[in-house]
Amino acid sequence: MQQKIEEIRARALEQLKSVSDSKALDELRVKILGKKGELTGILRSMGQVAADMRPKVGGWVNEARESIESAIADAQKHIAQKELEKRLESEKLDVTLPVESRSEGSLHPMSLVLETLFDIFTGMGFEAVEGPEVEYDHYNFELMNIPKNHPARDAQDTFYVDDNIVLRTHTSPVQARIMTTRKPPIRIVSFGRVYRADEADATHSPVFHQLEGLVIDENISMGDLKGTLDTFARRLYGEGVTTRFRPSFFPFTEPSAEVDLTCAACRGKGCRVCKGTGWIEVLGSGMVNPKVLEMCGIDSKKYSGFAFGMGVERLSNLKFNITDMRSLYENDVRFLKQFRG
Amino acid sequence: MKIPMKWLNEYTKIDMTPEEYARRMIMTGTAVEGWENTAKFTNVVVGRVLTCEMHPDSDHLHVCTVDVGQGEPLQIVCGAPNVAAGELVCCALEGAVLPGGTIKKGKIRGVESCGMLCSGPELDVPESLYPHCGDKGIIILNEDYPLGTPAGEVFGLGDDVIEYEILANRPDCLSVWGVARESASVLGEHFVMPEISFKETGKGTFDDYAKVRVEDETNCPRYCARIITNVKIGPSPKWMREYLHGAGMRSINNIVDITNFVMLETGHPMHAFDLSKVKDSTIVVRRAHEGEVLKTLDGKEHTLNGSMLVIADNENATGLAGSMGGEESEIVNDTASVLFECAAFERGNNRVTARTLGIRTESSGRFEKGVCAETCMEALDRACMLVEMLGCGEIVPSAYDHYPSPAPQKVITADANRIRRRIGVDVPTEKMEDILLSLNIDTEICGDTLTCTVPAYRQDIEGEADLSEEVLRMYGYDHIPSTLMTGVTMPGFRNEKQSFGMGIKKALVGMGFFEAQSFSFISPTWLTKLGLKEGDSRLSCVRIRNPLGEDTSVMRTTLVPSMLNSLSLNMNRGNESARLMEVSPVFLPRGEGELPEEHSRLVIGMYGDGADFYALKRVVMCLCDRYGLTPDVQAGGDDYYHPGRKAELSLRGGSVKLGTIGEIHPLIAEAFELSERAYVADIDAEALRACKVELGAVKPLPKFPAVSRDIALLVDEEVGAGTLLKAIYKAAGKLCEDVKLFDVYRGERLGAGKKSLAFSIYFRSPDHTLTDAEINAAMDKIISSTAKSFGASIRA
Repeated sequence: MQQKIEEIRARALEQLKSVSDSKALDELRVKILGKKGELTGILRSMGQVAADMRPKVGGWVNEARESIESAIADAQKHIAQKELEKRLESEKLDVTLPVESRSEGSLHPMSLVLETLFDIFTGMGFEAVEGPEVEYDHYNFELMNIPKNHPARDAQDTFYVDDNIVLRTHTSPVQARIMTTRKPPIRIVSFGRVYRADEADATHSPVFHQLEGLVIDENISMGDLKGTLDTFARRLYGEGVTTRFRPSFFPFTEPSAEVDLTCAACRGKGCRVCKGTGWIEVLGSGMVNPKVLEMCGIDSKKYSGFAFGMGVERLSNLKFNITDMRSLYENDVRFLKQFRG
Repeated sequence: MKIPMKWLNEYTKIDMTPEEYARRMIMTGTAVEGWENTAKFTNVVVGRVLTCEMHPDSDHLHVCTVDVGQGEPLQIVCGAPNVAAGELVCCALEGAVLPGGTIKKGKIRGVESCGMLCSGPELDVPESLYPHCGDKGIIILNEDYPLGTPAGEVFGLGDDVIEYEILANRPDCLSVWGVARESASVLGEHFVMPEISFKETGKGTFDDYAKVRVEDETNCPRYCARIITNVKIGPSPKWMREYLHGAGMRSINNIVDITNFVMLETGHPMHAFDLSKVKDSTIVVRRAHEGEVLKTLDGKEHTLNGSMLVIADNENATGLAGSMGGEESEIVNDTASVLFECAAFERGNNRVTARTLGIRTESSGRFEKGVCAETCMEALDRACMLVEMLGCGEIVPSAYDHYPSPAPQKVITADANRIRRRIGVDVPTEKMEDILLSLNIDTEICGDTLTCTVPAYRQDIEGEADLSEEVLRMYGYDHIPSTLMTGVTMPGFRNEKQSFGMGIKKALVGMGFFEAQSFSFISPTWLTKLGLKEGDSRLSCVRIRNPLGEDTSVMRTTLVPSMLNSLSLNMNRGNESARLMEVSPVFLPRGEGELPEEHSRLVIGMYGDGADFYALKRVVMCLCDRYGLTPDVQAGGDDYYHPGRKAELSLRGGSVKLGTIGEIHPLIAEAFELSERAYVADIDAEALRACKVELGAVKPLPKFPAVSRDIALLVDEEVGAGTLLKAIYKAAGKLCEDVKLFDVYRGERLGAGKKSLAFSIYFRSPDHTLTDAEINAAMDKIISSTAKSFGASIRA
């Protein structure tokens, strides 16, 4: 009997070796250990075994069962492993298959630059303000110390709606609106579209954008203007970038300065972008003309201030190497898709 | 303004390279645009033709030997018909650079040629600089020059001409004297005025020859005049032609050249009249009569208005004051007596006249910027001095001078401390004095108070701020320290409107859209092309009085045509798809003389790559959802949309119109040259902002399970799925958590004009698990309500 049990066990273990899938394994298990299985059969025929032998036979059977079960469990583990490997192998993908890589659009390059400027100036305590694009001559010119028929009007070819209403030629009228309605201290940046009667070509556009800053407080000096613009220059183009002030003339500032920034392309060494000078002309600025303060109802003996303004297109063209202004207003998606953000 | 360096050096000393000079001028506020040598050639010298034989192999070429004053005579082949032995010529030596190229030794039809004999055009020498130089063939010099003399010396070429861009506040620098004076101050040199003197050798006095009447003293604050008799018209001397040429002016004749020379030198435009042609010898300065016609020197006829200042005789206008003389009294070759005018005309009036008539001359340009009345007589005297120098006439004793109200001397007191505070640079008071004195601003200091007497020509200096700029620019802008503002700390921020506009744009960027920027002014025909009907408020626009063209003449009242134009451009350039959006104001007129309302709108446009009505709707609904809004969407909208594919969006139960979305109507698409179906949304960005729902408290997560039931309702085709869905939601009562459409089916079995809409309905209670009875009751309500309102029946 013992031999017979041993045979079953040996055969089962032998057969297990060739079982390669879970279905065959299950069949084998049923054949040996199932209700009608060989090993179970022995237990069933226990009645024919002498009573004193029964515990012994029972022990042999259990021993064999345990050993077979353990072997089956091992096989099962092995097979599951194999089957998983097979599945994973069959699910392999071509990871080089191209996918749509862009789901986002983009802001216009001008907005991208404006965002940067806003971040810089709001971070320095400037409040962003706006004003109308169709504006009274009074705010656009008169309060900016550019009376009717003043030669300074030549520099700003103006679109007129009627004798007293113009398309603003700069963002300065916003300053006038603020100065006539608020009391110092004032620290604002105004931005938006401005208009000049220039035919559109590679370097001109009758519609363009400006950003302007104004500070009015007690004891504001030209040094504070330089300090502010130096900080701006560093935030815009990085450490080491600085400003150069050149005397200039604007009717609404006195003294006035054109401001160059260190050329960001060559860091001041001189290159094609800066035409070898190491400087890029970016801003107009100056100390607010006391006449402007007085016209706006601010005591010019007590308060002083500075103002600066820049063309946003100029900055975006420099930053993105845009050589034709017209491409900014055509909205060709092949142009726009080159931007992100 | 262009000025030859040599001319400047007559009055001051500029002893440095043009680069260095330009740098110093730029850093003190005089913009130098560039410089250029007047000689467009090098290595060209005076030579004498020794022999001149016919070329053996040509019927027009000559073989010459030319003595250029050094070494052996050169053999040169020359094709000019006027070349002859014995003539003095300009010879370009080997290696000479001419405007047309470099001269090389070579063979011409087998004969060696070691240079070139030059014509006027070959050297870029104009007739005005050397008369007859361009007549026929090479230049034959008619004066004697040593052989080997550089040709530049012959023509007065070779000087550097500096080009300045004079700022609007410095009209005094629109002159050689002005720039020389400024240069002297900058460079620490002296400015030396020429001593102006001449002899009055004519007979009688001014009054014996002419009468002047100034009728408009406001627009002509000063009028000075002189008479020259025994005038001999002829060419100007070489030095004068050289200077005029360098400054970019053509030499005409001695008298006209003198007026131009004086204008360039002093900044005072002058005019010369042929006295014999001035009727009644009377000059009247008056306003033009309305509609008066005047023919100017350039042969053009102008119709004048009553605000324009003219120079007239007793009857007719003969010239436009300050802009251009009349044809009648022009200086001609036999002019015998001349009236020189040097006046000051008011700049504003002059500017308006010049602009209105479209006249732009050197003279009008200077008057527009402001000519100093104080120095008129000085300029006139300078002209007389030149007449004497050139020997081209006799100066009649006494001048006419009408200057009823001389400008008072300008004295400004300033506080040195305030100047220092303003410029942020610690310039000692004494240094300020030095600087101001160097600018001819007479300055006295008393403690920290500066008392400054400003020269008349510095019309721009009006107060302390102007003085502070003078001090700073001369002291050096590079001394400005970099300081930080002190005072109250201020919060920097963007207002809610700005953040909202950017928020919309960023949300759409996230959905694949690109921000567009288009001009705020459009063609009025775009509105017609859009098919807007008469009475549509969008047809009433703010018009630009002086547009660049009709196509940019009105401020837009809708962003839609601009978007269609951009989409069209993309289609026509072969771009397969486009997703564009723009947030910009539209301009809605209010009353006459009032500013228009600037109302912010959002336009979205798309075509290709899956663009359709629903894709567009989804974008707009997602955008609204971002602001906590679910607009009501109903069929309808502008006629420029496809009649069956357009919708009106509204908020707050229809009381707030949000905008329209739709596919562009095929006819409108054709008008805008859209070759594909295009989808556009036109949204009122301000309405969206006004209605947006701020984020509030969150709801706790549900504790009890949801139950869902599906239902398929058979309805007429006209019943909108969205409308039915809303009705179901409403009928289901407060236990209904959500309703979702999951199937739309049309088929023969349903019958024509019918469709089946299948919904999943989700129920949940916050406080207990729902029972079948509760849900059945709700479902019954849904069925009866939709049957009643829509004729819906349950689809078996």
